[in-house]
Amino acid sequence: MNLENDLRRVLRRESPPAGFAGRVLERIEREPARKPRAWWHAAAASVTLAAVLGGYGAYRVAEHRRGEFAKEQVLTAMRIAGEKVKYAQEEVRAIGSHD
Amino acid sequence: MRKLVIVLALTLAAAIPASAQQINMNFPELEARAEEVVDITLDAQMLRMASKFFSGRDADERAVRDMISGLHGIYVRSYEFAKEGEYDRKIAERLKAQLGPTWKPLVTVRSKKKENVNIYANMVGDRVTGLVIISAEPREFTVVNINGPIDIERLSQLEGQFGIPELSKEK
Repeated sequence: MNLENDLRRVLRRESPPAGFAGRVLERIEREPARKPRAWWHAAAASVTLAAVLGGYGAYRVAEHRRGEFAKEQVLTAMRIAGEKVKYAQEEVRAIGSHD
Repeated sequence: MRKLVIVLALTLAAAIPASAQQINMNFPELEARAEEVVDITLDAQMLRMASKFFSGRDADERAVRDMISGLHGIYVRSYEFAKEGEYDRKIAERLKAQLGPTWKPLVTVRSKKKENVNIYANMVGDRVTGLVIISAEPREFTVVNINGPIDIERLSQLEGQFGIPELSKEK
């Protein structure tokens, strides 16, 4: 009998403390919201990092192309200028040698 | 107020020589008639960028890099025509008229059969701070404007380097 009484006492219905349901609901609402936010942050950081690295890579490629193009332009300009100056110098020297 | 006046004066002093060397090199009438056009515009920023791509190990490339390092701009316009007399030779005079009093004629070559070449240098003291080369051939008109300190002797030595054939030998 003692055992039955003990079991009844232990398993008797008890009302939860005040505000228990509210706290549980609040925690349920809070917990699932934290996980997607963490995932979203990681994804956004990855996308941002990929965009920054990709953008920097594209910028470097474009800069390299621009630099090579500018170098070619410099060489062409110097070649044209050099040729004209050389021609003028040769003409002046030719006139000098006739004198 | 006094500081402002000094800053303004310094700004103007820096701006005037730079703008004085700017020459109008737009020739739409030549561009429309020419069979081949070479149009090169390299401002200081582009020159700085280009200089990074010249190797420091190769002597020829180093020479060009050193030459362009102090320049503010290089501008080239060259027009090749299908036949003779396709452009007004007075255009050279119009160009010369743009040059200010600091510009001195260095070399003038006049030829009936070949090309006329005029080389003008912008002199500040003994220093050449700019160069304009005007070349008028029967079928070709070329203008080169180098803005900044330039060694003319070294410029003439560049031809034939970098595996680029000498133009004078092609003719």
